[in-house]
Amino acid sequence: MKEFSRKRLRTIIAAAIAVLFSCAAVARAQSASPLSPTSPTYREVTDETGRTVRIPQPVNRIVSLAPSLTETVYALGLQDHLVGDTEYCDYPPEAQKKTKVGDTINPSLEQIAVLHPDLVLVTKGLNRLETVHGLENIGISSYATDPHTVNEIASSSKKLADVLGAPDAGASIAIEMEHHLADLQQHLASSPPKRVLFVVWHQPLISVGKHTFIADALRLAGAVSIVDSDQDWPHVSLEEVARLQPDFLVFASTHSDTAPATVEMLATLPGWNIVDAVNNHHIAVISDAVNRPAPRIISAIEDLARQLHPDAFVKKLEKEKDRNEKATPVPVQPPPSPLAFLSSAPQHNEAIPGGCACAR
Amino acid sequence: MRPLTLRRLLLQCTVLLAILFGVVIVAIKFGAVPVSLYALGRDMWGVLFHQRSGISTDYVLIIQNIRLPRILLGIIVGASLSVAGTSFQALLRNPLADPYVLGVSSGAGLGAILALIAEPHLNLSPMLAALLTPLGAFIGAAATITAVYFLGRRDGQIDGNTLLLGGVITGSFISAIIMFLMSTLSGNLRGLSFWLMGELSTPLQKSIYWFLGIGFFAAAGAIYTTASDLNLLLAGEKEAMHLGVDVPRVRLVVYIAASFLTGLAVSVSGAIGYVGLIVPHVMRLIFGSDHRTLLPTAALGGAIAVVFADTLARTVVAPSELAVGAVTAVVGAPLFIYLLRRRLA
Repeated sequence: MKEFSRKRLRTIIAAAIAVLFSCAAVARAQSASPLSPTSPTYREVTDETGRTVRIPQPVNRIVSLAPSLTETVYALGLQDHLVGDTEYCDYPPEAQKKTKVGDTINPSLEQIAVLHPDLVLVTKGLNRLETVHGLENIGISSYATDPHTVNEIASSSKKLADVLGAPDAGASIAIEMEHHLADLQQHLASSPPKRVLFVVWHQPLISVGKHTFIADALRLAGAVSIVDSDQDWPHVSLEEVARLQPDFLVFASTHSDTAPATVEMLATLPGWNIVDAVNNHHIAVISDAVNRPAPRIISAIEDLARQLHPDAFVKKLEKEKDRNEKATPVPVQPPPSPLAFLSSAPQHNEAIPGGCACAR
Repeated sequence: MRPLTLRRLLLQCTVLLAILFGVVIVAIKFGAVPVSLYALGRDMWGVLFHQRSGISTDYVLIIQNIRLPRILLGIIVGASLSVAGTSFQALLRNPLADPYVLGVSSGAGLGAILALIAEPHLNLSPMLAALLTPLGAFIGAAATITAVYFLGRRDGQIDGNTLLLGGVITGSFISAIIMFLMSTLSGNLRGLSFWLMGELSTPLQKSIYWFLGIGFFAAAGAIYTTASDLNLLLAGEKEAMHLGVDVPRVRLVVYIAASFLTGLAVSVSGAIGYVGLIVPHVMRLIFGSDHRTLLPTAALGGAIAVVFADTLARTVVAPSELAVGAVTAVVGAPLFIYLLRRRLA
C-alpha cells in the first residue's frame, strides 16, 4: 500500500478536476453560440399565472400542450400555425394529425425544440411547472392559461387570441359564448337547479371541487354539485353520496354510444345500489367537452341543461328550429349549434368568418 | 487485498471512462428526435477548422440545449448516488445499504418539498431561492440517516437487519407524509409525484450545473480522504479504533458528505433508486473492495448506469418519457432480492 502516496493522489484528483472543468468550459463556450440568428421583435405580456412572458412577434409557430388549448387554437382559426400538440389532442379530428410532442405531463422537450415554436401554450390545471421551467431554460417562450369559470374560459380565449394575433376572432368567440349562455339562462330561469354528482372517475369515486370550471359549468346548466370541496379533484365516499342523494349522476364520455353500457354496469358494482339516482336511472351522459376549458364547453353545458331540464326546452323548440335553418343538424347530438366551433361535427370551412356570420 | 498501484487505478478508471464515453455517445444519438452522428461530426469539424460561426442545425440545438445538459446531470446524479451508496455500505458495514433503501432519498425528497413550500414565504433572492431546495434536501437526508442509524443500533452495535428494516420503515413513513402534503396542498406540488419517481427531464439553469459539479467533487473528495479508514472499518468499529482510526471523525465526515451527495442528487432528480446499491456491488465484484479504487470506479459506474437508464427512459415510449427511477427499479429491485437471499444463505 505504500507505493501509493496521498500526495500523489491529491495531485491526480486536482488534475482530474481541472480536466473536467476545462471540458465544461469548452461545452459552455460552445453553447454560447446564438440560438436564433435573427433577433425578432418581442412583446411582453402577463399570462394568467402572473408570469411576464416575452413573445416573439408575430406568432407563426405554436405548440399546444393541452387538448383544450388545441381546441381553442382551432376555434380561433389559427390551426395552420399549430405545428405540434399532444397525444391527447383529439378534437377536432384533424388535430390528431399534427406532430405529437408526447403527453401533457411529460412531453419531449426535444420534440418541441425541433418544431421551433414561437410560443408554447400550457394550462396550469394540466401541465407541470417543471415543463415550463425546462422550456424557459432552453429559451422557448410559453404562455399559461388558468381559467376557473366558464366566463373565464371566454375571457381566457379572448386574451389568448390577442396574444396569438387574432383579436377579432377572440372577441367574436367570447361574444358567441356569452350569447349562448344568456340564451340558456332564459330557458332555465324558472327551473330550480338539480342536485347532481359529477363523476370524474368511479373507482375510486372522484368528483369536482367548487373552484373548478366544471362546477361552474354545472351551475350554468341548471345543476348544483352536491360536493362542496376546496380541493379540485376530491375523493368522495359512497356513503357521503348516499347521505346527500343527488337527483342525477353526470358522466362525461368521449364515445356517447358506449357510455350507457358503462353506466349500466354501475348498478351492478357493489355499493352503488344505495344511490337512488343509479336505481332510478337518473344518469346524464354528456360530451367530454365539459372536461376541457375551451369554447366547445358551451355545447356540453347546453346538452346537460336539456337532459336535466327537458321541460324548459319543449316550448321553444319549434322557434329555435326556425332560427337555425342554416345550420346542419347533427343526428345524434340534440342541440343543433349555429356555431362552427361549438358543433361536434368536424368542420372544414374557415372557422371564424364562416362560423360567426349567422350570429351577427 | 492486493497492493494498490497508481497504474492500476488509472487503468481501471480509463476503461470505465471509455465505457462512459461510449454510453454518452449512445445517449446523444438516441432520443425522441433522430440525430445523425455523422452529420453532427461533420458540422463540429466545420466549426473547429473552418471557423464557421456556429452550428445551426436542429439536432445540434437539441444536443446542446437538451441532451448534453441532461447527460451531464445524469453523470453527476449517478456518481453522487453511487458514491453515497458505497459510503453508507462501508460505514454501516451492510452491503445492502443504499440511499433509496435506507429512506435517505425519501428524507431528501421531503426536505426538498418543505423547502419548495417555504420558498414563496421567505422573500429570497433568486440565487438563494435556487439553493434552498438542495439545502432542504440535504437537511432531510442528514436527519433521515441519523434517525435510521439510531433505529439500527442494538446494544451499541449496528445490526444489519434492524438497520435495513428501520430504513424501509422510515422511508415509507416519510413517503406517507409526502403523500399527505401533496393531497392537502394542491397546486404546484402536483407535478412532484412524477419527480418523486426520479427524473432528469427538466433542463436546469447553467449555474446549477456548476453548483452540482463543485458540490460533488467537494463531497466525494472528502469521502475519498477517508478511503483507507473505510477499508479498516470493514473489520468492525472497535477493530478499526484499535488500528488507529479516528472512528467518530470518519463517521461524521462520511455521514455528512454522503447525505450531502444524496441531497444534491435528489434535489435535482428526485428519488432514483438502487443505483447506490447495484453499482458498488458490481464494482466490488470486478475491482475488489479496496475503497481507494472502489470509490472512483463506483462514481464512474454510477454515471454510466444512470446515463444508460435515462437513455432507455427517453426512448422506450418516445415521444413521451418514462421516469428514470422506474427503469433503475426494474433492474435494481430483483438484484436487491438476489443479494439479500445470497447473504442470508
